[in-house]
Amino acid sequence: MDTLVAQYSQPMFEKENHGEDDQMELYQPAPSLSLKFAMPPVAQPSAWLRAATDDHANPNCPIKIAHGTTTLAFRFQGGIIVATDSRATAGNWIASQTVKKVIEINSCLLGTMAGGAADCQYWLAYLGMQCRLHELRHKRRISVAAASKILANLVYSYKGMGLSMGTMCAGVTPSEGPALYYIDSDGTRLAGNLFCVGSGQTFAYGVLDAEYRYDLTEQEALELGSRSILAATHRDAYSGGFINLYHVKEDGWVKHGFSDTNPIFWKTKLEKGEFSNVTSEMV
Amino acid sequence: MASGYDRALSVFSPDGHVFQVEYALEAVKRGTCAVGVKGKDIVVLGCEKRSAMKLQDTRITPSKIGLVDIHVCLAFAGLNADARILVDKARLEAQSHRLTVEDPVTIEYITKYVAGVQQRYTQSGGVRPFGISTLIVGFDPLDKTPRLYQTEPSGIYSAWKANAIGRSSKTVREFLERNHKDDMDRETTLKLTIKSLLEVVQTGAKNIEIAIMAPGKPLEMLPVEDIEAYVKSIEQEKAEAAKKKTGRTPGTGSAAILSRGPDE
Amino acid sequence: MSFQIPLQAQLNNNHTIRKHVLLGITGQDFTLIAASKAAMRGATVLKAADDKTRQLNKHTLMAFSGEAGDTIQFAEYIQANAQLYSMRNGIDLSPSAVANFVRGELASSLRSRKPYNVNLLLGGVDPITLKPSLYWMDYLASLAPLPYAAHGYAQYYCLSILDKHHHPDINYEQGIKILRMCTDELKRRLPIDFKGMLVKVITKDGIREVDYDDSARIDCP
Repeated sequence: MDTLVAQYSQPMFEKENHGEDDQMELYQPAPSLSLKFAMPPVAQPSAWLRAATDDHANPNCPIKIAHGTTTLAFRFQGGIIVATDSRATAGNWIASQTVKKVIEINSCLLGTMAGGAADCQYWLAYLGMQCRLHELRHKRRISVAAASKILANLVYSYKGMGLSMGTMCAGVTPSEGPALYYIDSDGTRLAGNLFCVGSGQTFAYGVLDAEYRYDLTEQEALELGSRSILAATHRDAYSGGFINLYHVKEDGWVKHGFSDTNPIFWKTKLEKGEFSNVTSEMV
Repeated sequence: MASGYDRALSVFSPDGHVFQVEYALEAVKRGTCAVGVKGKDIVVLGCEKRSAMKLQDTRITPSKIGLVDIHVCLAFAGLNADARILVDKARLEAQSHRLTVEDPVTIEYITKYVAGVQQRYTQSGGVRPFGISTLIVGFDPLDKTPRLYQTEPSGIYSAWKANAIGRSSKTVREFLERNHKDDMDRETTLKLTIKSLLEVVQTGAKNIEIAIMAPGKPLEMLPVEDIEAYVKSIEQEKAEAAKKKTGRTPGTGSAAILSRGPDE
Repeated sequence: MSFQIPLQAQLNNNHTIRKHVLLGITGQDFTLIAASKAAMRGATVLKAADDKTRQLNKHTLMAFSGEAGDTIQFAEYIQANAQLYSMRNGIDLSPSAVANFVRGELASSLRSRKPYNVNLLLGGVDPITLKPSLYWMDYLASLAPLPYAAHGYAQYYCLSILDKHHHPDINYEQGIKILRMCTDELKRRLPIDFKGMLVKVITKDGIREVDYDDSARIDCP
C-alpha cells in the first residue's frame, strides 16, 4: 500500500514550482468567453479573406457574403422598438426576401443583424448561450450592458480577421430599465436612445430623427419604426422584403408582425399621399 | 491511522478523508477569531487582533480585514500569508469582472469565486489547501440588503445572519445564536459584534478591529476610542448584571478589566 | 514564412480618428480635459453625447481618441489596472506613475502583432504635492508632460491660441475662458460638427464634470 502512495505523492515534489500561468489555470469559473477558431495559414487572415470575398473589386470572387440591410431600434417611454427589413443580398443578387434579422436571444433580449448574416447568426446564438449560462450561474437575468459587452469583447478579439457585423442589443431588465446598445465588428460599443444600422441606415435616420420623441405613444412608436424601414426599403436597393417589427417591454418582447413592404408601400402612398415621386397611373 | 494518506494531498484515506483539508481546518481553528454580523441595513466585521510586540509598528502591520472591491470586504482566520494570496486573487477577479461585464461583482459571486479557488487547491497536484476560512460581507450593486458569507478550506461556502470563524469560534457562534435578532440597528449590531468578540478576546478594545459596511458607502473602520467606549459600556452592563445576580458590589472585578485597556 | 509588419505611418492617418477633438489645459491648481461628444462611423454620427474619458483613480483622468474599439478596450484595461493597484496597495498611483505605466503598456503593445491604435491625454493632480499635471501621448507611445496639449485636427487650431494665452498660474475661470476660445475657434473653422465638448476638471478634491454650455452659434467673421 505504501508503494502506491509513494508513487502518487512523488510527482508532487518533482514539479513544485507553480508559475502564474499554472495558478491561473487552477481556477477557471467558465471556459473563456472567446472561442478558438482555426485561422487560414497566412500572415494576415483579413487580407486573405477580403481577397476571397470582395465582390466589389472582383465580381468573380469565390465567396459572396450576404450584406446590405436596414435595421433600427429606439428607446421610448414605453420600452424599445426594434424593426428591420428582410432582404439578403450577395452582390447584386437578392438571395432571400424572408430573412429574420431580429434574433431572439431570450424572452427579454433581442439582437439585430446587419453585415455578414452568418457572423451575426452564429455570434448572437453564441451570445444567447452565454446569457443563459450567466443566468444559471448568477441566479438572475443578465443585464443588457453585460450581454452587449460580452459580444463587444468577443468581436474585438477577432478584430482585423474579417468579421463583419453591425448589431444592436435591446432589452429591458429590472436594474437598468429599457437599454439599447450598438455593437460592431470594429469593437465599438455604444449605449444610446436611437440607432440605425446597415446600408439603408441614412434613409431610416432621415424619417426616424424627424419625428422621434421619447414620449411617443406605443402606437406612434410602432408606426414610426415601420415607416422608417419602409423609407429605407424604398430607396436602398439592398433593403426590402418584409418589415419585421418588435416591441420590447418590461415583461419581455412582443412581436408585431412580419409584413410585406409592397402593400404597405401602396397603402402609404395612396392613403397618405406620400411617395409622390412614384406614379400609380400610366402616363 | 493516517499511515501515509496525509502526505499526498490528492489521495483519499480509505475511510474517505482528505487529511490535508482537515489539517487546513485545524490551522483555521488556531487562527485569531473573526466575527461577522448582519444588521438591518449594515453589516459588521469584527476581528481579534494579535497583541503587538513592543517594537512592532502597529500602524503599518497589515490588518485581517481587507477590501476586495469598494463594496466587498473580507476577514479571515488562519494563516495570514495564505490569505494574502487568496485576497489578491479575489481583487483581481473583482476588477476583471468589472472590466468584462461592466458591473461590480455581487457578494455571492465573489464568495463563489473565493470558494472555487479554495476547492481547486484541494484537488490539484503539487499544492496545499489554503489554511484559512473567510467571512465575506458587503452589498450587491444597487442593493440595500446586507450580505454575509463564509468560505472554508474545503471550498464550501454558506450564507449567514451572523457567524464566527477561528479560535473559539464555537463559543462565539453559540453566543451569537443566543443574542442575534433580525433587524438590528447600527448601535445594536456593533454592540453585539464587540460583545461576542469579548467572549474570547480578554484584552479589550486594543485587540479588537471593527469594520462597518453600509450600502453605497466606503468601508468604515471603527476608531479605537469608539470600540473602547463600547467595551466600557458592555463591561458596565455585565457588572450591573452580576450585581443583580449576586447582590454584591463587584467593584474591584470590573475596575481591573477597565484599567487594562489604557495600561498596556 | 514571413510576416508583414504593419507600416506605422499607415496606422493613424485615418480621417475619422483625427476628427475627434481632445484638449487639455493645466492651471495653478487644476487640470482641464475636454473631449468632443460625437461618436462617428463613416459618414454617420452614431451618438452625440459620447464620453471619451475614463477615470483611472480619484485624481487621474484619461481622454482617448483613435481606432474604434481599440480606444475603449485600452482605456478600460488601463482603468482596471489602476483600480486594481489602488485596491491592492490601499493608495492610488500618482498621475506621473500612471502616465509612465500607460506608456509602458502602449509601447509593448506597439511591438506586438496587433498594436492598440490610440492617442491619449492624461490629466491629474498629484494628491500629495497638489501639483496639476498633463501628459500627452500618441499611438507610438511617446510621452510628454505639457502645460497644455491637443490631439487630432484640433491641434492645428488650438495650440497657437494656447501658446498665446496660457500661463502656468492661471486660475480656473481663466482656464475655462481659454478653453472657450479654443472650442469657439474649432466651431468657427473646423468643417466637421463634433457635437460640442464634454469638459471635466481635476482638482485636489477629485474629478468633476463642468457644466459647459456650447450651444451658441459661432460664425466666421
